[in-house]
Amino acid sequence: MSLLQEVWQAVKAIGTGMATVHKRVYEEAPTEFYPYVKPDLPPVSVQSLALVENEDGSERCIVCLQCERACPAQVITIERHRNPEGKGFLIDRFDIDLVNCMYCAACVEACPVSSIVTIQDFEMSTYDLQTLKADVDFLHEQARRARQWYSPKFGVEVRTEDGRIEKAPPEMQPGGLAEILKPAEEVDS
Amino acid sequence: MSTMSLEPVPGRSDEMIVNMGPQHPATHGVLRVVLGLEGERITRAVPHIGYLHRNHEKIEEARTYPMVIPYTDRMDYVSGTQNELPFVLAVEDMLGIEVPDRAKKIRTMFFELYRLASHLVWMGTAMLDLGAISPFLYTFWDREIILGIVEKTAGARMLPNYYTFGGVRRDVHPDFFKDVADFLDHMERRMVDYEHLVLESPVVHARTIGVGVLSKERAVARGVSGPVLRASGVAYDVRKAFPYDAYPDVEFEIPTSPDGDTYARFWVRFQEMYQSIRILRQLVELTPKTGPYKGKAPARIKPPAGERYRAVENSRGELGVLVVSDGTDKPYRVKHRGAAFSNLQIVPDLFEGAKFSDAIAILASLDPVFGEIDR
Repeated sequence: MSLLQEVWQAVKAIGTGMATVHKRVYEEAPTEFYPYVKPDLPPVSVQSLALVENEDGSERCIVCLQCERACPAQVITIERHRNPEGKGFLIDRFDIDLVNCMYCAACVEACPVSSIVTIQDFEMSTYDLQTLKADVDFLHEQARRARQWYSPKFGVEVRTEDGRIEKAPPEMQPGGLAEILKPAEEVDS
Repeated sequence: MSTMSLEPVPGRSDEMIVNMGPQHPATHGVLRVVLGLEGERITRAVPHIGYLHRNHEKIEEARTYPMVIPYTDRMDYVSGTQNELPFVLAVEDMLGIEVPDRAKKIRTMFFELYRLASHLVWMGTAMLDLGAISPFLYTFWDREIILGIVEKTAGARMLPNYYTFGGVRRDVHPDFFKDVADFLDHMERRMVDYEHLVLESPVVHARTIGVGVLSKERAVARGVSGPVLRASGVAYDVRKAFPYDAYPDVEFEIPTSPDGDTYARFWVRFQEMYQSIRILRQLVELTPKTGPYKGKAPARIKPPAGERYRAVENSRGELGVLVVSDGTDKPYRVKHRGAAFSNLQIVPDLFEGAKFSDAIAILASLDPVFGEIDR
């Protein structure tokens, strides 16, 4: 290859690069102006965990220990005692070590009553890791704070009049499933 | 101490021993290579790995079968769900779980989306190693779109924990197929730019053609796989050789190059991206929009005693897993066969005789990910 050809090749390559840069200048930038503009996370996004209470303020968690057994990182610690009046159990201690949690949402999937849910609150950075050892009050507070929450456990079931067990309609499902399914209906119509 | 450092050869006082890494930015993580340099030529190279070792295989022995899946995610962290598949396939085989056809297609779509994402990361970082900064910004821009699509369905971007025994964990987002189709249109336009910027650039030609030639025989002898093997002229692809999931239903080719040099490895990865786009285009059409996404799996996963090896073709090559079951709910042994780990074995071969600056280009063409190499 002669020197002239090499020079031409170099000029052509620089021209191609500059043309590409020029094209991108007028495209919409993919960056976000966080923290001034909060990112719009999808409802299923797993950023943190929360423990939901019933609407009347009573405990939804039935302390069945399913989440503790399902947790791959083994960060959930639960202690319970029998309810002296009535049946079931009451929470003594419900701790999630959010430092070592790997946010796989296996606990959310295991929960039979959709009490433990994932939320979109990702602003958890702290100077003191001890503040991320979440106890039951912290997890309840997280659920109250969460503006929108969702659980991938679709399986809340109802008993029909003839005794069969069926999947509950979206309105009865916890975790805003009705809202999730809304776009699907719009697409169909 | 001969394993940790190079001993000077008596009578060769002009050889200089240099440490490259583990914190070198061009080693894609924490690879440490001890180089013997004679001027600019590399005379000897001894790679050291293990700086990111997290004891994955031992942890997995202490977890029940469903718990292992999120751990496999954390091996090759740029290609997400691809790591989950061999383990899931092996356990499904042992238990005889039927996977619905739609679930297989959704799995394959995620698999190919992550292949595109992984190759985009490779392209950006490989160009960064060769001194070009803007391709890195463009490829991460495109990868962001893929991760956004995945997050909408799976809930996480890089470590989604999405596959499960019998299918996938939840149904895809209603917009998923439209999003993928839009992204493919976008990606096809972008690929034209990338061809101009990377494959046709005379700077890339000068840095890569004829550099780090890996012969066919050597590649097979060292057990490399994936794009590195195909760039040496061996048309081996697990997707064709041992098809899994929805790959028998789609048409695609195995791009190979006879050259075996660094440029050939770049070229093969580029062609693979075109093939991924082609597979995804077919699957967007083929996959039913609604239907089952998960087959019947037992509540307690307890495979019968025995062992099973399953492999998939991930972005780096053959990723296999050997699951040994003793009949309890925890695996007796989980052995991962990492593609990046096997591909790294040719580093001493390729480095010896190369120039120091070429070593960076050779390493970039191998596309190592240290989460998987060190496990």
